Parts: sequence; C-alpha cells; structure tokens
Amino acid sequence: MTRRLAISLTGLLVVVLGSFAGNLVAGNQPALGLDLQGGISVTQEPVGEFDSVSLDLAVERIRERIDSLGVAEPEIIRQGNAIVVNLPGVANQDEALRLVQVTGAVLLRPVLGSFQKGPTDPNAPSTTGNDSNPTTTVVSPDASGVTTTTLSGVTTTVAAVTTTLAGGPSRSLPVVASTVLGSSDSTDAPVTTLSGPTDTVVTTDDGSAPTEAPNALSPTTSIDPSNFFGDPSDPTAIIMVDNTDGSETYQLGPSFGTGEVFNNDAKADIIQSGWGVRVTLRSGTTGADVWNAAAAQCFAKTKVCPTGRMAIVLDGVVQSAPSVNQPSFSGGVDITGSFEESEAKDLARVLKSGSLPVRLEVQAVQFVSPTLGEDSLHAAVISGLIGVALVLLFMLLYYRSLALVVVLGISLSGLTQWNVISLLSSTNGLALSLSGIAGIIVSVGVTVDSYVVFFEKLKDELKTGRSLKNSAERGFKSAWRTILAADIVSLIGAFTLWYLTVGSVRGFAFFLGLSTMCDIVIAWFFTRPAMLLLSRNKRLQRGRFFGIDNTVQPVGGA
Amino acid sequence: MEEVSTVQRRGAFGRLYHGETSFDFMGKKKIGFTISLILILMTIGSLFTRGLNLGIDFEGGVAWQVPVTATMDTDAARTVLSSNGIEADNAKIQILTNGSTKSLRIQVGDQTPELQLKVKDDLAKASQTDANEVSVSSVSSSWGRSITEKAIRALIAFIVLVSLYIAWRFEWRMALAAILAMLHDVLISVGVYSLIGFEVTPATVVAFLTILGFSLYDTIVVFDKVKDNLEKFAGSRTSMANITNVSMNQVLMRSINTSLAAVLPVISLLVLGAGVLGAIALREFAIALLVGLLTGSYSSIYIASPLLSLIKEREVSFRNFRGSHAVGAELAHMVLSGTATGAKSVRRQASATDGTQTSILVPTSEALLTHPPRPRKKRRR
Repeated sequence: MTRRLAISLTGLLVVVLGSFAGNLVAGNQPALGLDLQGGISVTQEPVGEFDSVSLDLAVERIRERIDSLGVAEPEIIRQGNAIVVNLPGVANQDEALRLVQVTGAVLLRPVLGSFQKGPTDPNAPSTTGNDSNPTTTVVSPDASGVTTTTLSGVTTTVAAVTTTLAGGPSRSLPVVASTVLGSSDSTDAPVTTLSGPTDTVVTTDDGSAPTEAPNALSPTTSIDPSNFFGDPSDPTAIIMVDNTDGSETYQLGPSFGTGEVFNNDAKADIIQSGWGVRVTLRSGTTGADVWNAAAAQCFAKTKVCPTGRMAIVLDGVVQSAPSVNQPSFSGGVDITGSFEESEAKDLARVLKSGSLPVRLEVQAVQFVSPTLGEDSLHAAVISGLIGVALVLLFMLLYYRSLALVVVLGISLSGLTQWNVISLLSSTNGLALSLSGIAGIIVSVGVTVDSYVVFFEKLKDELKTGRSLKNSAERGFKSAWRTILAADIVSLIGAFTLWYLTVGSVRGFAFFLGLSTMCDIVIAWFFTRPAMLLLSRNKRLQRGRFFGIDNTVQPVGGA
Repeated sequence: MEEVSTVQRRGAFGRLYHGETSFDFMGKKKIGFTISLILILMTIGSLFTRGLNLGIDFEGGVAWQVPVTATMDTDAARTVLSSNGIEADNAKIQILTNGSTKSLRIQVGDQTPELQLKVKDDLAKASQTDANEVSVSSVSSSWGRSITEKAIRALIAFIVLVSLYIAWRFEWRMALAAILAMLHDVLISVGVYSLIGFEVTPATVVAFLTILGFSLYDTIVVFDKVKDNLEKFAGSRTSMANITNVSMNQVLMRSINTSLAAVLPVISLLVLGAGVLGAIALREFAIALLVGLLTGSYSSIYIASPLLSLIKEREVSFRNFRGSHAVGAELAHMVLSGTATGAKSVRRQASATDGTQTSILVPTSEALLTHPPRPRKKRRR
C-alpha cells in the first residue's frame, strides 16, 4: 500500500514536472486573449441560405487572408455558425474589417492577360498575354470532336498592354503545368485532354461560333493603372489578382456572372485519365444562359475575353483559369488539366460553395487598446497572486504545517493548468482571456475547499480517538465522496456552458472545467498519497503538525 | 469531569475551530427567510421599475471610445452625434480613467456600419487625434438577442442537468432545495445590479454563472453532511430540524473557511486589481462575484438547509417530530456525539443538576464512534 501511494505521488510529480519541462523546451506558452493583449475581434454570422461547405471555405479564406498579412497569433473560432476572428495587436480597425469580410462569392471573369511571376522580376507590372500558359481547359463532357481551337496566338493583341514586358514570352511553366496548350509560338500542340468521349450524355453543338482572334482589344482600359488595382470584390472592375499559389498574376475583366450558374454538385472526378472537376449547369436564365453567353465570348476570343480563358475567382484569388473549348454547353461542364487529386477536390469545393455562397454579416466588433489589455493583465495577475497568497496565509494560520500540503497541491494544480493551457495554445489556438484568468482565480477557492473538506473530516476522525493513520484514510474516503459530488456539479455547469454559449462565457466555462478536473486529479494523485504517507510517519504523529492538538486525547479518551 | 471543563474552557473561536458549536440555525430560519423575502421583493420591484442596465453585448449597439483631449469632452461628443443624426440624449457617455489616461466612452443603439465609421472619423477630427486612436465596438441587435437567448438556454439546461444529478446522487428533495437556494442567490445578485444600476456585460454573466456553481458547490457539501447524518441518526427518533442543525454546526467551520478562501482572491481582485491598479475590466467582474459569493455562503446556511428540512419534514419518519428541535446543551451533545438523545432525559437531568453539565453531555468514546476503533496493539513495532 505504501509503495503504491509512493508510486502515485512520484508518478504525478514526474508527469507534471516532465510536461512542464517539455513545454518549456518546446517554447509553448499560454497565448493571451484579445482582452489581455489588445486588438480587434470581429464576429460574423451567415445570413440567409447557405451551405456548410461554403462556411468552412469562408473560414479557410479568412485564415488565408490573415496569414498572408502576417498577423501574429490570429484566432479564428467557429462557434456554431458564427465565425469569431480575433486579431491581437492589430490597431487599424478598418483594415481588420476589410480583411475578415469574405463574401464566398465565386466570380467568373475573363482573363485579359496574365504573366507568371518569374524569379528575376516578380514585381514587374507587365501584363503579357504572350506567355500565358493556360493550365486548364473547360469542355463539355462529351466534347469529343473539339480540337485545339483555343491555342493559336490570339493573345498577341494584348501585347498592347505590355508597356514593360519583362522576360519575354518563354518563361517557366506554371506550377500546375497541365496539358500545355502552348504559348503563342507553339500552335501545333494538341489538346490532349479533349480526346475520348466521356460517359456523360450531354449534347452540345460543337464550334458553332467562329474562331477568330479578337482584333479590337481596347488597350486603354487595361493600361489605366487605377484599373489594375480595382476592388476585387467589385464585379464590374478590372482587377489584377494572383492565383492560389501566387505563381501567376492575372488581369481580369468585369465578371460574366457568379458561381451560382452552377448547380451545387461540383465534384472531383477522373476525366479522361486525369483528375478534373465535373459540374452541372443550372438551367434557365440564371444558369446555363449566363454561362453560355460567357463561353461564346471566350471561345470566340472577342475583345471582352481576348485570351479565351475564363478565370474562376474566389474572393480575389484565381482558383483556376481554364481555356474555353466550346462556345456553348448544355447540361454540364468539365474542367480538366493536370490536376493533382487534391487540387481537383479544392476546385470542386470552391465551385460548390460558389453555387450557394455564404453571406457573412458582421455581428459584433470589439476593440481593446493594447495598453488597456496590458494593464488588465498586470492587474489580474498581480491581484490574483496576492489573493492566492492571502488564502495560503490563512491556511497556514489555520492548519499550521498541514498547509504545506495545500501549498504544494495548489502549486501542482497551477502547474498542471499552465501545462494544459500552453499545450492547447500552441496546438488548438486556445487563448487565455481575462474571464479565463478570473475563472482560474475563483477556482482557487474551490481547490482550497477540497483541502478544507478533507482536513475537517480528518479532524472529526481524530477527535473520535482514531489513530492518525486510520483517520487520514477514513477522512479521505469520505472527503473524496464530497469533493467528487461537488466537482461533478461544477463540471456539469462548465460543459453545459461551454457547449451552449458563445464568447467570453465559453472561455470562462473552459477554464472552469479545466481547473475543476485539475482539482480532482490533484486530490486523488497528490493529496491522497501525500497525506496518507505523512500520516504514517511516526515523527509527525506527535505535536501539532496537523493543527490539531492530538497529544491530548479528546473527550472521553482518557 | 476533566474533559467537560476542557470543552467549557474553549472560547467561541475554539469551539468553532473544533467543530463544537451549537448554533441553533433552524430556530432562526424565520429571520433568514424574512430577510431573503424582503431582498427578493426589492429585487422584483427594482427589476420592474428600474430594469437592468444591459450592455451593448445584449441589446446591440455601438460604443466609441475616444481619448479626452482639449477639444473633446462630453459636450463635443454630443455635438458630433447630433450632427450625424443620432439622438444625443439617448447616448450613454462615460469618462473612463485608466491610469493617467482618460477616455470617453460613447454608447448608442444599433447603427449602420457606414454611420459607425463616419462618427468615428468625426470624433477623431473633433478630438484632433488620429482616427486609429478612436475605437468602435459594435454589436448588432440580432446578435445581442441571440447571445442572450443562448445564455438563457444554457442556464436552463444547466439547472435541469444539475437537478437530475443531485436527485440521482442525493435525492430529489435536496435537488429542489439546492436549486431554490441557487435561484435565490442569482435573484439577489441581479437585484443588486438593478438597484445600483451597474451595467450588465458578458463579464457579469460569467460572474453570475460562477456564483451559480459556487452556491451549488457550497450547498452540496452541506447536504453531503446531512446525508451522512441521516444515516447516522436513522435509528434514533429525532426531528429533521435536529439533523439539519447538527449537520450545519459540523460543517460550519468548513463553510466559513471555504467562503473566506473564495472571497479573499475576489477582494484582492477588487481592491488591488480594480482599485489600486485601475483595471476597469476587473471591477465589474469582482463586484458581481463578491455579491454572489456572500449571498451564496449565506444561502447555503440560512436558505438551502432550512428549505431542505422543511421539505423533508413531510416524510413519514420525520412527520411526528415536526416543529420540535433541540437547542443549547442538547444540540451541543448531538453535534459532538453524532447521536440523538431523548430530549426529555436531557432536559430532566439538566434541570436536576441546575446548570452544571452532567455526565450525559460527556460523550464516551463508544458514543462518538460509529464503530469502535481497532484495538491498539500492546507494543509498537
């Protein structure tokens, strides 16, 4: 029995101190919440009908945008349908609001020109249509007979834009190099993806629109620098945007339509021995008509769509810019190219969410100035520590040397909480908020209470004339029942609140639950073995070590 | 007789320390109930007449915070508001002092995002500071409503689950008494907020929830003792009031200790954190907690246990003893020995010896133990 107690005690010490050391080595630290650090918190909620996929995508988009800006330790939390974005240390509120407001709307825009960001001059503001390497193609699922009509050097007219043409036409291939449809000087490259009919029974009349190079691209619109920086969320603007991995920059014209032309059924599939995306068109004026009008323009390479490519743009990022191989589609659209499986799936997800975009509305904005946050943190920590010190002093006066067990127990409990919070901070993006700190400080009261319950029971047992060893065992047994019952009530409360509420209440509930569980663990694995072992020590059996004058036998014992 | 005198020599604190008090809590239950009733009536009256000062997080609204400068004061802020077509009379304008810096917090109802930014810029202009110095916090009224709804739903779920747990772990009567006592605490805390007119923020809600938890926790520890004693006293015919009284006296020191341990950090938060160090965010929290902890400690003794006793007295085994309970020496004996004595015999003997304690009040070790201790070995190893 003694050995088992000793094992339990050392086991706990090893685990707690070990993980403490581990956290220190790994550099894990509790992340501070917004209210302690200063910053901006924006809560958004979708309104109207939406798809849960598009909500996930919106969260991802927000994360990408924030990450690309290099905000330190942003916190993006899904609470039910609400998306809470906490940006610690960000002071510019307008900027933050702009950053987190993603529409989730997928726009279909014609590619006016594109260039790859070369290693030599990545910032060159040139728009060379010449070296555009279309990475993907759009075909109707049964477009077996369509040949390489999209290839030819049609984009030469765009060269009017290239005031500073950097690098020349032959640059490195884009990262997602697919069926190389060829640059302007390799018109003989066939479109390999178009061979072979597919199972899908969709009939389209092929190639009714004349294939002619646009001859009247108005260069003025594309040269005007202000248009280069048009607001990507404005469908009518001409914009300059990158693709997903930033390897290529596109100049895009006003939008033809939104992703809502598609049905909500886009899926990645193996199309003609390669990964592609298959999606069906919504019928009627809002779907197929819009798409076909756009496709006709691009297929014909009119001045609206001089490159013949149609970009699928989500929140200002080009997801894919396939060439249009047919003037008209009926029923379905295939997007093929040398996609990786994951790339095809991503694109399918984008199209899916674009077909039913989520409209996020800002519900709450909170701003904490950095100095205010810092002051609160200092005040909370200092006054909290002093409060705990007062409690321990009181314990010391009341229970004398026995209070040492309380001090050790509370330190261990604090250390355990620090460990868990640090670990979750680095893995799950948990942040310690002011209400969390307050919850922990309050829980000191609960932790101390378990000792008080135990010690009072111990005193009761001693008073009845039992030996110290016996009393400690019986006292713990009955105290453990009480502690467990009371702690379970706290846990029920913590879980209910955590599950059903949002915001600071949720944070509080988490820390309340955490500290309550620590209380249970410490009571069983530390207090129990420590006290039972102490009670067996013969030297401690005399004197007032336990704050109880047990040298004088209690009433009736004489 | 020696031992009797040890008991008597102890002062009030000594008796408290040794768990030998014999306060007649049940006899004072009417006082407790009256005080609570008055407080609850005041709360209800205040809620109807004054209502609660809900923060923007629950009602929705916009709050700008702008540093106080030579050109920015309350009047200047009102001018900015009215020039933007917002009724300045309905705006809540407070001056916040945080260390050496002062700032103005201007709070109005829900506004469109465009107007929020416009006012922000205007405020910056009026105070001759950078627009970044002015901060806007806003909560749409629909979001505020959903927050409030969620909180209420969580509260109801919490109460149901906890009642079920207590009913399963103890008994339904205890669940009823504990929940009533908890509602009492929350009601009185809310009443304090309504009467003084403190603003209710999410921090306040968090604090109230803490109070719920703590009040229940406190009550459960007392009830656990009551449950113990119900078993101990099962054989002796005694009233529920006696058992409750005995239990409360036995856990009195624990209740005081625990309350002190919980209140000390909160007082430290309030006095040091909010007062000396000037963290406003902590103040609301600490005040709500303090009020709640005090009512929680009070209710676990004066409301929860008497309520339980009242409910349990209806049971068959206690029905005959309704309304009678022991006080004074007899109570002290029960607290010490953990066994009931025939009330008449004690009274008879006490009057016979005229004030001096009789041997019956000296519990023998047999009386003290629920079962006798293991016989000591003659020689220690």
